[in-house]
Amino acid sequence: MHKALRVLVPLAAAATPLALMSSATAAGTSYQTTLNPLNHASGTGMATISLQGNTANIHVSWSGLAATFNGSPYPHVQHIHVGGQGQCPTTSADKNGDGVISTTEGGPAYGGIGTTLSEHGDTSPAAGTNIKIAPSSGSTDYQRTINVSSKVAAAIRDGSAVVVVHGLDPSTLSKKAQNEKSDLVKSLPLAATSPALCGVLTAMPTGGVATGTGSTAGVENQGLLEAGGALVLVGGLALYGVRRRRTTIGV
Amino acid sequence: MAGHVGSRRGRRGGLITAALAAVVTGIVLIAFAILHQESAPAPQVAGRIDTGRTLDSGAAARAAKVIGAARPTRIRIPAAGVDTAVNAIGLNPDGSLAVPQPGPHLNEAAWFRNSPTPGQQGPAIIEGHVDSVEGESVFFRLGAVRPGNRIRVWRADGSILEFTVNAVRDYPKATFPTSVVYGGDLSAPQLRLITCSDFNETTHHHEGNEVVFSHLTRVVRPGTHAVRDDGR
Repeated sequence: MHKALRVLVPLAAAATPLALMSSATAAGTSYQTTLNPLNHASGTGMATISLQGNTANIHVSWSGLAATFNGSPYPHVQHIHVGGQGQCPTTSADKNGDGVISTTEGGPAYGGIGTTLSEHGDTSPAAGTNIKIAPSSGSTDYQRTINVSSKVAAAIRDGSAVVVVHGLDPSTLSKKAQNEKSDLVKSLPLAATSPALCGVLTAMPTGGVATGTGSTAGVENQGLLEAGGALVLVGGLALYGVRRRRTTIGV
Repeated sequence: MAGHVGSRRGRRGGLITAALAAVVTGIVLIAFAILHQESAPAPQVAGRIDTGRTLDSGAAARAAKVIGAARPTRIRIPAAGVDTAVNAIGLNPDGSLAVPQPGPHLNEAAWFRNSPTPGQQGPAIIEGHVDSVEGESVFFRLGAVRPGNRIRVWRADGSILEFTVNAVRDYPKATFPTSVVYGGDLSAPQLRLITCSDFNETTHHHEGNEVVFSHLTRVVRPGTHAVRDDGR
């Protein structure tokens, strides 16, 4: 073996545990978001993602959305949106003034589709409006492990990824909006693809919580203890002195 | 002569009485100080964290209906003698959960603003100090809470919610189970309370976090929560 190599091998061996340790700390991180309603939807929900590399363990739970669509279970397409401002749109995003923030109008705030949170099969942006593989109900508790793209993984980590659940109850829309076609799929009404719930993913707090100083764990009432001790000492000394004097007198 | 001796004896008697009184008072003070040496009650680990299956059916599930977003304003935990205002709080730059800082809100509870509001789906997080530089703090007695205890939360929409404790856990900070505390069952409204525990006399630090797990069991007073479009 080359002399330099002989030196390098133990060095490399020594460095291995360090490398393992750093990868272990960076391995998995958890993210969360509260899903709040857009467009006067009545639902609420929450999503969590545990991310290891590009493998995302995704949990999305929501309720209170429209349950039926033309007499059938209502499909609610749901996605992780990326590449926008990392925000949920406000009513000011409603550019055409029909009272509905369409998916397109919400685009600048939350960006485009990065991952489709389908129940099975394709999870790419191409499956974004495939209502056949979307959760179909007024509520869902969805869990799936998905290999997301590097772009989506990066967006989750930097806080710009947004979970959006689509599909509004048509009866809650203005007359004008009820007659509009979807901006995404012309064969569907506007209500079907417009965003209903939205939440920006943020990192869960790391580590423990510093909710104590220990001020009540040590010795309290120290003043009282000291005063008590002093009184016992002074009193004791005085008694001792009196006793000694009496003994002297007695003799 | 006799009078002189008598007065001397009287003076000595007075001195003895005073000395005895000092000793007795001293002992009483020490005893008082020791008896009032108050430590936070240690959390008693009990109960199940995941109540999902048992809540799926029956009256509990109907009572625990999910409601919309409205910030918590007040929390009352009779079992821990807590009745306090609730403020909103976020993350520290290092990614850890921020805690109430010295000032008017140091000894009040804080709701983690990235968690759901109590009553929404998923775990709402409310934390409080066990002690602060000023002594006992708002969650000093959280260790006394047991499964079955009730918690009441007042929200900005006027609603009052009642949560029932289902589990108490005590975690070392070094291995704090982030996804268990901030995640888990997302399908029903949960409320989780966090404070410090396990004071180490040597390091002079609290080495643990107590977490109280509770779930919504009753809407005491419905709110007037308007649907808000700003996502918060």
